[in-house]
Amino acid sequence: MIDLSTKFGSLKLKNPILLASGVWDVPYTKLIDFSKLGGVVCKGVSLNPKEGNPPPRITETPCGVINSIGLENKGLDNFINEILPGIKALGTQIFVNIFGESIEEFKKIASKIEGVAGFEVNISCPNVGKGGESFGRDPKMVFSITKAICDVTELPVIVKLTPSAVNIEETAQAAKEGGATAVTVSNTFPGLAIDIEKKEPLFKRITGGLSGPAIKPLALYNVYKVKNSVDIPIIGSGGIANYKDVLEFLIAGATAVQLGSIIFNNPLAPIEILDNLQCWFEDNSYKNLKDLYKK
Amino acid sequence: MAPIFKILPVLENKKLGTYRKVTLADKQMYKLAECGNFVMIGFLTLDPYLPRPFSFLEVNKNTFSILVKVKGKGTQRLSRVREGDNLKVLGPLGKKFCSPKEGVLIAGGIGIAPVYYQSKHMNGGILFYGGKSKKDLIFIKEFKENGFKVRTTNEEDGGLVTNLIKKHAEELNEKQIFVCGTIEMIKSVRNILNKEQIDNAYVYMEERMGCGLGGCKSCAVATTEGYKLICTEGPIFPLKEVSLD
Repeated sequence: MIDLSTKFGSLKLKNPILLASGVWDVPYTKLIDFSKLGGVVCKGVSLNPKEGNPPPRITETPCGVINSIGLENKGLDNFINEILPGIKALGTQIFVNIFGESIEEFKKIASKIEGVAGFEVNISCPNVGKGGESFGRDPKMVFSITKAICDVTELPVIVKLTPSAVNIEETAQAAKEGGATAVTVSNTFPGLAIDIEKKEPLFKRITGGLSGPAIKPLALYNVYKVKNSVDIPIIGSGGIANYKDVLEFLIAGATAVQLGSIIFNNPLAPIEILDNLQCWFEDNSYKNLKDLYKK
Repeated sequence: MAPIFKILPVLENKKLGTYRKVTLADKQMYKLAECGNFVMIGFLTLDPYLPRPFSFLEVNKNTFSILVKVKGKGTQRLSRVREGDNLKVLGPLGKKFCSPKEGVLIAGGIGIAPVYYQSKHMNGGILFYGGKSKKDLIFIKEFKENGFKVRTTNEEDGGLVTNLIKKHAEELNEKQIFVCGTIEMIKSVRNILNKEQIDNAYVYMEERMGCGLGGCKSCAVATTEGYKLICTEGPIFPLKEVSLD
């Protein structure tokens, strides 16, 4: 029996496969069995409802996608009353991605949500006017937000870093000093698409966030850099499309990984990746994740 | 309604008017698909990365088909698939719509696809149908056989579907109306309907889509009640509710 379980802080996941924030919703449960996954990260929750950005909100690039969603969500109260009960029944670890436009907002949200595995702090969304990536680029702000959240919750706090920071090792260190249990490395990369008929940027907010296999080497390098400079568990995220990508992230230093836009390309990818990972461990006579690091 | 995700073989790809009609072999969709539903069609590769949303054109016991107009990379490649090629299929998606047995259908160009599929759930009515040229206009015979009065026009001969509607405005009264076409066409139709004080109209909306399952929140359409997602709350919306700016 192969044991793919992984641990960080006080958390134990049955395997290292998580679904990233902002790519899935409950209808996916009709296609895949969420209880097989290590966990899921919910769509970003803000204190007040956010209507999101005007369309178009998505465009394709070679092996990737640029989005400009703008964190559309119905706000904290709706999340707690309408969404969370259903998600808790999925039979997997639930992480709640939280978004605040100020430290106070982050504190309010974190202090009101209970009964989940932990929080993922969104200080890296590139598609909003206030907060998001603008917070995540500043190590002092990363520290202050992380600390403020850790002060109001007993739950594990994972900080989702932006690849737009001048030095991602510095922001990872700041998250650690603020009390983070782990960091997610990383959110989407800012990118631009042009509408050649209108001769202007496709998105009303000009830039969007690039994800998908196109960014995998960049995200992987960020994981490697953080691993080699900061002693904090890493959740690797960026362009994972198959089980070999998962292995690369784990070997580069990730404790777990998140799958994102690949589920648009193939909604069954999470389960297929998990099955293939099991087979690969079996083929190599590896019994658990620790065996992966044997040479 | 639970959608299925499958890899299905192409049975046929043939020219139809100025479009390609791509038919896939499948027995399940017939049992699941309803009026108003659509499918996401993708390739077995990472590039193109995203699947594309298509209205059903026809759904039969052992096959279903979509209508393809080449617009970008995805539709270009889809227009060249051959018998035996495999495609990823996710569907049926979207909100089921109970079509009236009779009504008015208004289609422009490739907007005929969902309208034709809807007509299969009806016993008759009137079709107003415009295209760029005569060659654009398809399924005229089939609509007539299904009890529809068909009124067509085309831009090459100087005609717009909106002029056709203006001319026969009396035929719109007290019937449910369904529109599918370009945003410009939909705007013009709405102006005419407003003048005639008709508000019993629905529109098929289209937007760039990521997942088709409400996960990515990409396919937003502005409505009087804020943004709604085409994939889970549409694609059919009351015409008076949507913002067309």
